[in-house]
Amino acid sequence: MKKLSLVVALVFVLSLLATNLFAADTLNLSIPLPLTGSEAKFGEIQKRSYEIAAQEINAKGGIKGKKLVLRFEDSEGKPETARAIVEKLIDVNKQIIIVGEYTSKCAKAVAAVAEERKVPYLVVASASDDITQKNYKYVFRMNASNSHYADGVVSFLKDVVKPKTMAILYESSDFGTSGAEDMEKQAKQLGIKVLLKERYEKGAVDFKPILSKVKSERPDVLYMVSYVMDASLLMKQIKELRIEAKLFAGGAAGFAIPEFIENAKDASEYVITATLWSPKLTFPGGKQYAEKYKAKYREYPSYHGASAYSSLFVIKDALERAKSWKSDDIRVALKATNMKTAFGPVKFEDKDGYQNQNFMDTLVLQVINCELETIWPTSIATKKYVYPIPAWRDRSVKCS
Amino acid sequence: MSAQIELFLQTLIAGILLGGLYALIGLGMALIMGVMRIINLAHGDLMMVAMYIAFFSYDIFHVDPYVSVLIATPALFLLGVGLQKFLITPVLKVESILPHNQVILTVGIGMVLSNLATVFFKSDYRSTPVDYATKAWYLSDFWRNSPIELSLSFAWSVSFVLAVVITAMLWFFLTRTDTGKSIRATAQDLDAALLMGVNVERMRMLTFGLGAALVGAAGCLFMPIYYLYPALGKQFTNIAFVVTILGGLGSTEGAIIGGVILGIFESMTATYLGMGWAPVGRFIIFVAVLVFLPGGVSSLLRSRRFGR
Repeated sequence: MKKLSLVVALVFVLSLLATNLFAADTLNLSIPLPLTGSEAKFGEIQKRSYEIAAQEINAKGGIKGKKLVLRFEDSEGKPETARAIVEKLIDVNKQIIIVGEYTSKCAKAVAAVAEERKVPYLVVASASDDITQKNYKYVFRMNASNSHYADGVVSFLKDVVKPKTMAILYESSDFGTSGAEDMEKQAKQLGIKVLLKERYEKGAVDFKPILSKVKSERPDVLYMVSYVMDASLLMKQIKELRIEAKLFAGGAAGFAIPEFIENAKDASEYVITATLWSPKLTFPGGKQYAEKYKAKYREYPSYHGASAYSSLFVIKDALERAKSWKSDDIRVALKATNMKTAFGPVKFEDKDGYQNQNFMDTLVLQVINCELETIWPTSIATKKYVYPIPAWRDRSVKCS
Repeated sequence: MSAQIELFLQTLIAGILLGGLYALIGLGMALIMGVMRIINLAHGDLMMVAMYIAFFSYDIFHVDPYVSVLIATPALFLLGVGLQKFLITPVLKVESILPHNQVILTVGIGMVLSNLATVFFKSDYRSTPVDYATKAWYLSDFWRNSPIELSLSFAWSVSFVLAVVITAMLWFFLTRTDTGKSIRATAQDLDAALLMGVNVERMRMLTFGLGAALVGAAGCLFMPIYYLYPALGKQFTNIAFVVTILGGLGSTEGAIIGGVILGIFESMTATYLGMGWAPVGRFIIFVAVLVFLPGGVSSLLRSRRFGR
């Protein structure tokens, strides 16, 4: 009997040792993402991209010889859930670095926890300006902040369209509000008069009343900050009402993904949108990533995916350079990042009131023949922009 | 000036079209509330189920969403009858501290439905991109020199007309058939109906089925003009609830008028106050009606009738 219990104990201890040894060879990284709820689409794109990146990293020997093991936690797009997940990751799992989340409100919740617990957090796709304006030392951001999203669009307006008036519609979220406010500021600097600036509740059924009001004001440019389904409904109803603006422009997010064209169909033609990345850009590894993603999931990823994909390489780079894997050493290493990724050059800078922010060039896409084409800056354009755009009744393009 | 008139008329058109659809959503809830004295808080989720039926019929068999009214409505009727028979009736019989635990049950049913939809269909947005989605009629096509330009969306108009037809059919059923009259009798006075030999339990089942079928039809009518995701129910339960309260708890005529009023009110606030005010406006109407007109629109109708 005694012998048996000894054997059992021995086996137990051995198995413990084995798991410990096993653990030493892996680096577990749990990523909070919205996998259900209304932002799940973007969560999914990012999840797939993280997985592709992890595969590539592991195929080349992992990070400092450790195999990267990803796990995904569903935050449902709710800040309180995101917060709870990250508290668990830091306090229980002792995770050394946090990456992930999509919506700005969740990223803010995560950033607060990360800063408080002094664990570096890399934001990949949340745009709200103040995430990197709070003097947080441990929060880094890969993607441009909201007020820089539209830089490309603004320069397109300045050089090509030269509008006198503008109307702005935006959804009443963090992302929508900050995007609209920034556009208003930029418009004023360019001497464009903002005739109308209206917010709406996401998920609205009928935009025609507010669009009729836009129509009666006759703005040169209509700028909209919306997620994908609202974006398609807006364009469909704009077509229905035949609002003849010189240009319809979207502020990234919903306008910059293929679903926008699938849903709005020919109403999406000639709409321009700000974006941070396109599969057709020539950053190192960008094209390969996009093709790999497409081969697997039959569609091209959006910038959200590209940022997520590249973020793991940024983390790999930082962890390899870090003196030790203590949080302050990782932070110092991240801060010193200066690398070229599939998403573009990444460098975390403190300027214009931002801390640890990656400043990047933003692009303009236009829907031409039912495809999102890069039109601005012209140096990397895949097609020449279409401007002026034809009136609704003279259009013949059909998207199927 | 003409621009202002154009704006007003276009808003009014939008409001009436929206109101017709709101009325159909509210109608089912009002019917259930009238007969069973419970608020069916799974209403919007039932609509979501019907929309998935419409979506998959379109996606797999290329059935037009308007045609799938004929599929989704009977399916939802059966679902409603089943829910009543196997879930709500048993709970009705249980003595409990809470007087309205059937209402709590409907909340549970709604949550289960929307979570099941998330599990099976994922939380992706779905839509049926029909060819006629952006087709519209324009005033200037008919009247070349018209000083104002108005447009009338094809899909919205069809949805509205079908909503009116379905409402008329319901009205015919309730007022002209024996079963319909029994349902109304049950709504007016349960005990009296029971004494007159109405099979109340069967009427309840029928009512819940009918209520579900109505909101199912509404779901199909929303498909060509809106989109679909598992959590969509809540929004429409709210709308149905406000319409029901506005109409006067449980009154079907009231619900129709309530729906149209809400539609026009929302469109007008969107145009003249700003679209961000729509949810607030809905809530203000809700509270105002409860405080100043507890019987809703139907109490006004009734007092007029007695006044004569």
